[in-house]
Amino acid sequence: MGVAFSVKDVYFKYPSSREDTIKGISFDVHEGEIFGLLGPSGAGKSTTQKILIKLLENYRGTIEYFGKDLKSLDNSFYEEIGVGFEVPVHFSKLTALENMEFFSGFYKKTADIQELMERVGLWEYRDVKVGEYSKGMKVRLNFVRAMLNNPRVLFLDEVTNGLDPRNAMIIKEMIAEYRDKGGTVFLSTHLMNDVEQLCDRIAFCVDGRLVEISTPRDLKLKYGKREVKVEYRENGTIASAVFPLDGIGFNDEFLELLKSGKIETIHTGETSMEEIFIIVTGVELK
Amino acid sequence: MSRLTKLVVGELKRLVRYKILPVSLATAIVWIVLLLFLSENEAREIVPLLICVDVAAMSILLLGASHHFEKQEGTIKTMMVMPVSPGQILAAKTVGSMVLAVESAVVTSAALFFIHRITFNYPVLLLFVVIAGVAHAAIGFVFSLISRDFTSMLGLLLAYMFPFTIPSILFSFGIIDAKYEWLLMVSPYHSASYLITSAVTGDYDIAMVLAGCLYLTVLAAVLFKYAVYPMYKDNAARG
Repeated sequence: MGVAFSVKDVYFKYPSSREDTIKGISFDVHEGEIFGLLGPSGAGKSTTQKILIKLLENYRGTIEYFGKDLKSLDNSFYEEIGVGFEVPVHFSKLTALENMEFFSGFYKKTADIQELMERVGLWEYRDVKVGEYSKGMKVRLNFVRAMLNNPRVLFLDEVTNGLDPRNAMIIKEMIAEYRDKGGTVFLSTHLMNDVEQLCDRIAFCVDGRLVEISTPRDLKLKYGKREVKVEYRENGTIASAVFPLDGIGFNDEFLELLKSGKIETIHTGETSMEEIFIIVTGVELK
Repeated sequence: MSRLTKLVVGELKRLVRYKILPVSLATAIVWIVLLLFLSENEAREIVPLLICVDVAAMSILLLGASHHFEKQEGTIKTMMVMPVSPGQILAAKTVGSMVLAVESAVVTSAALFFIHRITFNYPVLLLFVVIAGVAHAAIGFVFSLISRDFTSMLGLLLAYMFPFTIPSILFSFGIIDAKYEWLLMVSPYHSASYLITSAVTGDYDIAMVLAGCLYLTVLAAVLFKYAVYPMYKDNAARG
């Protein structure tokens, strides 16, 4: 597998800002992986994505897209990428199908619109004007829009935000299938469910810097507590005890509890992604 | 179909769906009704003013309405991540704005012919409408891109019209002396008005026509290159 994006020491400053919004970030997005960019609002996630999709160009540092300098690429770059914005981006007075046909008309290689719309449950509403769609329907249509050109790299921003659990699951399945077929995904989100279920690697962005890049499993190991929490019944009430994971097989108190048959629940001290987010970024999720 | 053609077709479709073309046609119908009540001479005098109002003020207004609607819908941003250049997008929007200007000129000219049997040099009028229309499309883009919403754009349009349009209208009513016309040509509206009036009346000074064409062309080129193009890209990136 190659490297889809190689970002080295990139800085970016908006003309109206006094200081850099992006302060020397470096990371690689490997071909065929789902790379998640996480961070609190205003941390620089959207700016990073806008730089990668060439909406912002005056950055310092180097970015390579499959080995080519991103700045040297012309508009044909957009033949290869699909972008799903967080907010709906459709002509509200046109029907969903008219929107999709209009956008797909600009690509050399296109996906089957009917198949995509059927999969997300919008085909039967194809002749309805997008202005009459619910928020969830617009989000699903955004995803279809991003997939229209069978992209090599897919950029998704809060892709399941506003979706009910069933539709969120369908979209996540489609993203995972896309990755399994070799597609690369750059996902920015604050929804930790999406991160846990989808991302192969994640990076935390705080104040324009990347403070941590790892796999969800390694992060859980790194920030998790090496302990076992046991809940058991004693004198008609629920009591709990915490034991160190190291040497647990020789911990007499723990072994005694196991033998007593009073145990109701037993968990390793795994830290949730929400907790890791708070530890790493120092910001609580809202 | 080339990408530019597809963009133009998309613009035209949206002009209809967003009721911008129907509104423009409704305005033209108001002009037709007006022409029914005027004598031949009065009609010949007022038609350049009507076409000019449509080419200058109305096209700026409708372009602003279309821009702010698209901004609200987020479609400007999504168009920027397609394999088309910002130049092609702007060209398509300018052609869309031209359609409004040309439609107004065609309807008004046809009404003038059918009501008063007045004919004039149509190809020259078309050329001047296009030159004036492109310059005012550039002005319209600038107003749209520097304004936060449609209401603030209306404020900018009014601020533009007072110093640049009213003196020209006063001139056409003979209130401003003819010796100041060269000075008035600095106003894009007056340059457009001079060109359109000369095409309709057939009465013109060649130096003034050339100056008007050159000024509006250079103005459009400078505005598109140094203001509209960079601001449009910046606007799209900021969403």
